[in-house]
Amino acid sequence: MPHIIVMPALSAGMEEATIARWLKSVGNMVAAGEVIAEIETDKATMELEAERAGTIGRIIAAEGTTVALNAPIALLLAKGEEAGDLSVDAGEGAEDRQASVQQTPEQPDSAQKQVPAAAGVSAGAVAHRRSPASPLARRLAQEKGVEIESLNGSGPRGRVVRVDIEAAAAARQEPARASAVDPAPSPVPTRARQAAPVDQPHDEIPLTNIRKVIARRLTEAKSTIPHFYLEVDCEIDALLDLRETLNLQGEGQYKLSVNDFVIKAAALALRQVPEANRAWTDDAILQFHNVDVSVAVATDGGLITPIVEQADRAGLASISAEVKALAARARDGLLQPAEYQGGSFTISNLGMFGVKAFSAIINPPQSCILAVGAAERRPVVRGDVCVPATVMSCTLSVDHRAVDGAVGARYLAAFKALIEQPLRLML
Amino acid sequence: MNAIVTEPLQPSAPWVSLATSSAAWAAADPALLDSMLTSMALIRAFEEKVLELAGQGLVHGPAHSAVGQEGGAVGSVLAMRGSDQINGSHRAHHQFLAKALHYVAPQGLASSAPFGDDVRTIADRTMSEILGLARGYCKGRGGSMHLRWAESGNLGTNAIVGGGVPAAAGAAWAHKRAGTGDVAFTYFGDGAVNIGSVLETMNLAAAWKLPLCFFIENNRYAVSTTVEEATAEPRLSSRGLAFGIPAWKVDGMDPLAVYLATDAAVKAMRAGEGPTIIEVDVYRYFHQNGPLPGSAFGYRTKDEEKAWRARDPIDRVAAEMAARQLIGEDQVASLRARAVALMDEIAAGLIEQHDGKRRIVPSLWPSPDFRDFGVRGDLSELQDVRYVEQEEFTGEITESRFVDVVADVMERRMRENDGIVVMGEDVHRLKGGTNGATRGLSTIFPDRVLGTPIAENAFVGLAGGIAMDGRYVPVVEFMYPDFMWVAADQVFNQIGKARHMFGGDGEVPLVLRTKVAMGTGYGSQHSMDPAGIFATAPGWRIVAASTPYDYVGLMNSALRCKDPVLVLEHVDLYNSKGPAPVGDLDYFIPLGKAKRVRTGQHLTVLTYLAMVRPVLDAVEKLGVDADVIDLRSLDRAGIDWDLIEQSIDKTGNVLIVEQGASGTSYGGWLAAEIQNRCFDMLDQPVQRVHGGEASPSISKVLEAAAFAGPDDVEAGLRLAMAGQGRPLA
Repeated sequence: MPHIIVMPALSAGMEEATIARWLKSVGNMVAAGEVIAEIETDKATMELEAERAGTIGRIIAAEGTTVALNAPIALLLAKGEEAGDLSVDAGEGAEDRQASVQQTPEQPDSAQKQVPAAAGVSAGAVAHRRSPASPLARRLAQEKGVEIESLNGSGPRGRVVRVDIEAAAAARQEPARASAVDPAPSPVPTRARQAAPVDQPHDEIPLTNIRKVIARRLTEAKSTIPHFYLEVDCEIDALLDLRETLNLQGEGQYKLSVNDFVIKAAALALRQVPEANRAWTDDAILQFHNVDVSVAVATDGGLITPIVEQADRAGLASISAEVKALAARARDGLLQPAEYQGGSFTISNLGMFGVKAFSAIINPPQSCILAVGAAERRPVVRGDVCVPATVMSCTLSVDHRAVDGAVGARYLAAFKALIEQPLRLML
Repeated sequence: MNAIVTEPLQPSAPWVSLATSSAAWAAADPALLDSMLTSMALIRAFEEKVLELAGQGLVHGPAHSAVGQEGGAVGSVLAMRGSDQINGSHRAHHQFLAKALHYVAPQGLASSAPFGDDVRTIADRTMSEILGLARGYCKGRGGSMHLRWAESGNLGTNAIVGGGVPAAAGAAWAHKRAGTGDVAFTYFGDGAVNIGSVLETMNLAAAWKLPLCFFIENNRYAVSTTVEEATAEPRLSSRGLAFGIPAWKVDGMDPLAVYLATDAAVKAMRAGEGPTIIEVDVYRYFHQNGPLPGSAFGYRTKDEEKAWRARDPIDRVAAEMAARQLIGEDQVASLRARAVALMDEIAAGLIEQHDGKRRIVPSLWPSPDFRDFGVRGDLSELQDVRYVEQEEFTGEITESRFVDVVADVMERRMRENDGIVVMGEDVHRLKGGTNGATRGLSTIFPDRVLGTPIAENAFVGLAGGIAMDGRYVPVVEFMYPDFMWVAADQVFNQIGKARHMFGGDGEVPLVLRTKVAMGTGYGSQHSMDPAGIFATAPGWRIVAASTPYDYVGLMNSALRCKDPVLVLEHVDLYNSKGPAPVGDLDYFIPLGKAKRVRTGQHLTVLTYLAMVRPVLDAVEKLGVDADVIDLRSLDRAGIDWDLIEQSIDKTGNVLIVEQGASGTSYGGWLAAEIQNRCFDMLDQPVQRVHGGEASPSISKVLEAAAFAGPDDVEAGLRLAMAGQGRPLA
């Protein structure tokens, strides 16, 4: 019987992915472990390896097609088999159909791993997964207008159960409620495609997966998280002096940026005020053990936030080297999910563009994001004298559900102290 | 000198053969002989008509004819009175007709008189019943093998060999208790003599001196097996010797001899001397069923048949009467012709010609929607009772031992209703039986608390007979539930089916108490929960109280109910304490009403009896937001779908918790029913907690592993919560 190659789970929470490129075509022989396609997920492009040897019998999902998790994408024929030997619509358990992926990232959660696939795919169309769902869930989904196929079930073997429908319905309700208060129309995260209301001349730029994920996550964050903002000015002349000294001593082995100091200071401040190193969930507040700092990196495809793990323990030089490597990989689309999923705190720095100060949107489920502005010479009052100093404005966006104002203020004070007395970073 | 001395022992009861002499015939009442002749002629013509219809394929199912055996039935029935009662087996048309005819013509039938409307009606309704038609005595339900016309003293015939014998003992018990002097006869053949129901009942009837005649029609063949093949003592009346029952052996082809033996037996029984046995040697001219002779099947010879036919009972009576010039040849021929004509006429009213074929007149069939009518009663007997739930109870509630309340409520009802009689093994001794559940009753009501021999099939069957009689309410105790298998024929084939089988309107007010004993180390054969098996028998109602308070109300309803009710008890509950009423033992709890004992949102837990408490404990311990429902009524008609569906609609999730083994489980059918009824309400399959596959063992560790305990309940709760995406920590 021909082997069905399905879209594997490449990252946690992944629901679909796009076939970026087929490296093999129908009739090609492939060996086990040979790379047969490139798959573009939310944030990265990965290589899909053949799980077993055979001949490509049919390409089910063409290049550019977005395919649901576990949906068939190709048929692999053993010797003597023909593509017609199997109707793709006849679904089977997914376990024996998982294609393996090079450098398989962290396993998705077990519920997702167990989702059996049964999918019919018409070439070129977006595939829909047929989910097992309880009778009650089906009825509620119909009543509430929720698409069961869009959900990951939390019941046994991935069965969609009532709580999943209720959660989906609630998630849809929240932004809708917000828009009732806010006269400005806020985008509603819906899978239904909205017709473009524009009739002036324009080009339509297709949404990439990354773009869609950014849109969805930021809309969700801005509309569901009660943000508040704390702003502080940091004098960084001492920091700049230290940086210069260190860079001179490094003899080209490293080149520390202001941002590297900011990362280190932000991380150490989190150690000092661990109450800011938290995440909000519906069931509990999660207190992180490690200080993992996500650093926003702009790429052509969009924003991505690679992680400097345990930044509080890393030296400035290693932070600097790691950030450079991550940023390069991000721009090349080579980040693995484990490199950008997680993190306990985010730093977004637009200082290099001359932005004086700004407020960032929290990167859920984290509670805080630090927006760093440009370092500029400003008059500063010392006693009764006005003196010039290099000042950098930093704005902390805080999720009030997990972190209160006083905690945020203490954190920011700790951060400011470290930045302004940079030798303490060495302690 | 011999070391060993033997002396012949004498049985305590006589065993005699009885035959007539010419003097007996000379002395016989002419009217008696004429009635015998007429009755036998009618029965012979009736049976021949049934065989004719069977030959034409118009009788659905077997037609067991009694052609040739009329002498035994008619000779015996004529020695009875109208209020005496009989029952019989699969071959019983002749007994049924003889009793019915004697009931409508107690002074006897005359061969020269035209047949009255009563006779015509009996023939018509009996033939209708045999054909399965609506105007039969049992509305077509019973057919040839289940003929019941209670008014005439026909208690109902039986297709289980020997199966009707215990019930006849129940009728005899009621006669004795009522002191009417009436007697009961139970007819059966040589094939039934060797079955347990018969022998157990002989013992029980003799022990209790019941006015019951075991009337054996020895026609020499159980289908094709000869009596000599089946027993080393083919003189079947010898069975009386073992039980102290006086017995007569008589030539059944001599109806006068049968009459005289029966007359003697009836006199002894009316005098309170206990049961009797009469064995009559008879012969069926045809095979087991259908119109062919037995010789056609090779198990007997034509010569043998010819020899028996030469001793035909009708010819015998006609000849004896002719010898006394009581009747002439043409009168006999005329009687025969008129009897045949009557049966032709009756059949003509039931059969029509259609497309060149004979068929039943279509309008005579019962309506198909009559199928399940009367499986159980309509509970109108409970219409005006005082239902009081514990929450509404205005009197005092105290914590009492469960088993004390069991005895107390029975005492209260027995004081109020002297028709209630309690029976079972050791219920009259040991200060209230093995567990104290009948404590004090035998002291207060010595003649109404009956310790039985160890013979569940006989004594529960006897109780069934009492229940169908209607004058008394039997309360039977099975010491352990597993004994229902020992008594399975009486519990399920007889008591459970009687009402429906005999037409749907008879009442069977019987209470069967038993205690679930899992946890006591009594092992594989004493540890079942019988609810699942009883739930397969729609005639039975089942109640299971989890508190003393509910027990009182449910027992009161069970005792008032006109259907058989199984009242489940549990040893774990017996010695536990629970809320019980003080003083007021007279309220009722409805049959068919469950009770929500805890309210929650996420899970409906259905349970009963001794599992209610452990379920509540586990739900609290794990903090599950669950509706817990104590089912209380467990039979199919008693499931409280209103409450259950309302709860499932809310929670979307169901867990059924029971203690016993999976094989005999109760929850299986309930789960299937819930999935049918509530499919669109369900967020996951109906989950279940039950014991292991095999019945619990005696070893303490193995026993604990075999039935569901608190750990299993917790595991079930976790499963049901995880299944809805709310796993417990």
